Amino acid sequence: MSRTDKQDEKNQSGGSVSKDTVSHDAWDEHPGNKKTHDERDSVSSRTEKTDARKIVTGEAKYTADHVAGFQNLAEAAVVRSEIAHGVVTDIETSAATEMDGVYAVITPDSPSVPNKPYTSAGQSYPEPSPRDLHVLRKQVRYVGDPIAAVAAEDAATAKAAARQITVTYDEYDAVFDTEEAMDKDAPQIHDQDDIENPQPGADYEQNIEAHQEGEIGEVDAAFEAAATSDELTVVETEWETPYQSHCVPEPHTTIAHRDENDRYHLVTSTQVPYHVRRQLAHLFDVPIRDVRVTKPQVGAGFGSKQSMVIEPITLALSLAAERPVKLEATRREEFHAMRLRRPSRTKVRSVVSDDGELEALDMSVVTNSGAYGPHGMTAAGAIGKKPLPLYTHTPNIHFEMDAVHTNLPIAGAMRGYGAPQGHFAVEGHIDEVARKLDIDPIDFRAQNCIGEGDLDIASGILKDGEYGRRIRSCGLKECIERGSDAIGWNEVDQPDAEHLHRACGMALATQGSGIPGDELGAAHIKMNEDGSFILQTGAVDIGTGADTAMSQIAAEVLGAPPEDIVVQPSDTDISPFDYGAYASSTTYVTGQAVQQAALDARDQLFEFAAQLLDEPVDRLVARSEKVYSEKTGQSVTLEEIGYASIYGDEVRAQIMGEASHSTDESPPPFGAQFVDVTVDGRTGEFEVHDLVFAVDCGVAINPDLAEGQVTGAMHMSYELATGADLSFDDDGTPETLGFRHYGMPRTSDQPPLTPILIETHEPTGPFGAKSIAEIPTNAVPPALSNAIRRAVGVRISDLPITAEKIKTALNKQ
Amino acid sequence: MGTDMEIDLTLNGEAVAFQATRSDSLLDVLRQSGYTGAKRGCNTGDCGFCTVIVDGEPIKSCIEPAIRIDGAEVETIENLGSQDDLHPIQAAFVDNAALQCGFCIPGMIMRTKGLLEANPDPDDEEIRDALSGNLCRCTGYEKILDAVADAADRVASETDMVADGGQVPDSQSCTGCDCYPTGESR
Repeated sequence: MSRTDKQDEKNQSGGSVSKDTVSHDAWDEHPGNKKTHDERDSVSSRTEKTDARKIVTGEAKYTADHVAGFQNLAEAAVVRSEIAHGVVTDIETSAATEMDGVYAVITPDSPSVPNKPYTSAGQSYPEPSPRDLHVLRKQVRYVGDPIAAVAAEDAATAKAAARQITVTYDEYDAVFDTEEAMDKDAPQIHDQDDIENPQPGADYEQNIEAHQEGEIGEVDAAFEAAATSDELTVVETEWETPYQSHCVPEPHTTIAHRDENDRYHLVTSTQVPYHVRRQLAHLFDVPIRDVRVTKPQVGAGFGSKQSMVIEPITLALSLAAERPVKLEATRREEFHAMRLRRPSRTKVRSVVSDDGELEALDMSVVTNSGAYGPHGMTAAGAIGKKPLPLYTHTPNIHFEMDAVHTNLPIAGAMRGYGAPQGHFAVEGHIDEVARKLDIDPIDFRAQNCIGEGDLDIASGILKDGEYGRRIRSCGLKECIERGSDAIGWNEVDQPDAEHLHRACGMALATQGSGIPGDELGAAHIKMNEDGSFILQTGAVDIGTGADTAMSQIAAEVLGAPPEDIVVQPSDTDISPFDYGAYASSTTYVTGQAVQQAALDARDQLFEFAAQLLDEPVDRLVARSEKVYSEKTGQSVTLEEIGYASIYGDEVRAQIMGEASHSTDESPPPFGAQFVDVTVDGRTGEFEVHDLVFAVDCGVAINPDLAEGQVTGAMHMSYELATGADLSFDDDGTPETLGFRHYGMPRTSDQPPLTPILIETHEPTGPFGAKSIAEIPTNAVPPALSNAIRRAVGVRISDLPITAEKIKTALNKQ
Repeated sequence: MGTDMEIDLTLNGEAVAFQATRSDSLLDVLRQSGYTGAKRGCNTGDCGFCTVIVDGEPIKSCIEPAIRIDGAEVETIENLGSQDDLHPIQAAFVDNAALQCGFCIPGMIMRTKGLLEANPDPDDEEIRDALSGNLCRCTGYEKILDAVADAADRVASETDMVADGGQVPDSQSCTGCDCYPTGESR
């Protein structure tokens, strides 16, 4: 029995069960949820992505492609702060207003611009993030704060008019480093009195928007014991990660207008249509029913569009100009005025016994939120909560975090959501521990890591009550074996040249599948006469292929081919509710709503089939576009049932299934990242030969889409390892203004990426599925740092890893 | 803004005239005229989402002044196949699952078309070089590189087909074209 099981027993017998405690041991799986490969028709098939053909023909319509549908549409531009900290004393707009073709200029004082604080974080209600933003701002806190905006007859006129607006400032001292920002003499960026902040531990005098900590066991006692023991070793490490841009292909784009019913209608590139609807309604003080948010084709999000960044400005401009307005962010704005991955500094220390048992893990992180606080507490908390479950057996764990403001761009949500920063620290640290004990890093991890049947309590380290998450599926061992074989662990041939050194490095990874207890997915499915179905879900397909996966889940239940399930895109007037595309939740949470709605529809199918076949319902099976009697072998086609249900002589009723799904479960996917690298011992230059990620995502609903998630996320993770970071001048003005200043890998420099899907069965997931979208974003930085350590003996602990840093470290050896 | 002028060009095989201003790029006039397949990702020539073919060369239309297109031959994604009759390059992207959000794909396909016209049988390194001006954030490029290699084979076999009377070799099938399905009698 693992130590966490003992902990679990203690919790059970303790009698005081908080609301966070969930008894996870029993799981009553729906019959038919677990299928062998032979029994699966649609699930696990490489079904063509529903939008593939319109994408390759250029017919897929993203928000900016919708302008032709709006008469008298105006284009927009935003005037942004040119200083990092200060107050606007004057905005001279008359030259812009008088220009031909300018329809509206808005400033913080304009009647159409709301004057109350809000958060841009597209989160569940009430949002856990502080309300510290205004649509347009007189107090400016970074170079990029929006101050005014223009709507004009075309984009060139809007931009020209924006240049005619003169802003005068009273400038304040600014601070750009989190350590300096926490000093009591540092410039104070926010005033506590102006902000509603539900986060714990805020201290705005020290520029801290949130502080949290949690403990399992007694960490101080473990370190005290280690101080006097010969058999216990203490290892201490520090880690640093930079800003990372989502580099979202389609820039944030919104069209806002009043429709013919005088309602507020937005076509917008968002991951969270329902959150945007609610948050806009609250911000503009209009009824939710008067707001409609339509999600067209979206050119990806990666978390950047889990923030309501430009929608409020667009709506305010549309109200002022009294016509439809389109606002499209520039790439330069994407790099500094939208959202970014938050930089972090993490200290890790641990106690380990001579025989390789982790006795204590202590982790403290300071994140740079930038100028405002969206996702501040939750993303910083995830830096510990996400990776620590890998080592939940460690009896003593402590984690604390501070989310700190600086006068730099705003951090938000980004794929991985804290986990990449956390995995860099934890998996880099674990490697150092194994090295210190002279144990193979894979063996050390295998000895200490989580496994199937275990109770994870580390993911609840910041929860008030006692908490446990039973691990019902874990393919970590097989991920390590298969990944290790694929990369050739310990089998690389050393290059002939003496100065070249080759080695493999690895790191483990995990994530969640949705936010436990804070998700809702819903689905509605109706049958057409011809045996096809229309599926409506709130699932927000932002390019991942979520609509395709949903069609496969419904098809598997209904015995229909996936192409006969027509999936409608998310639209708040039409689709059932959904929290949106974030937290790796769509397949797991919304997928179950779809599965249940399809089961509801199938019950109705069987009622009709029972009459048509004169057989009892409990003998019927749906497969191959038919409903069969298992006893007689007789069948009726879905098309026959479809016509009978709508045009039949006796009972007529449209077959319509519906379901909502919410859950306290969030089963972690698991993975093992491997890197094969050669380092030049003279120059520090390095070449990555291969990146392998073996991942257990349960049953992959669509292996093509799952592999695409893995390779795409590994690309992003490789960028964080080697190419990310934004630079600013001494005044906080951004110097990274476009792709040419930023290290996003191209085909010419992206190393080969090998995804390996390891199937397990997650009994709580739809047909055994867990999440896949985020976990592969987590582990290239530690795996590469570990590989370089093995190759040439130096540890690079601040990202990005560069030849210069390696050379400097080699020179110190 | 500015003085309108008329630009005459051959677009997807047809003579057309566009109104443009001095500051308009080729991408501006294409998108204003309803050719929205080419996407705007940066407006500085760094992402390749706006790639179209001008006089046989794939170029980034966001940094090409419209005025310089007068008299040119321009080909956009709209000139390739339709959803039920895909061009072989498009079919290769679909069959290799070489797309996710799709925003980079029209540019990627036009870049591939330009590559294969200049070099019908590129090796992996040549493919990586040719695509290096076209970013993709979703796929990690793996399936796109597979699709381009596959597209080269498909385009080559289509060329062979034209030469030998339009038949598909027994071992192959196509997606989205109207050639013989596998197994059907000819």
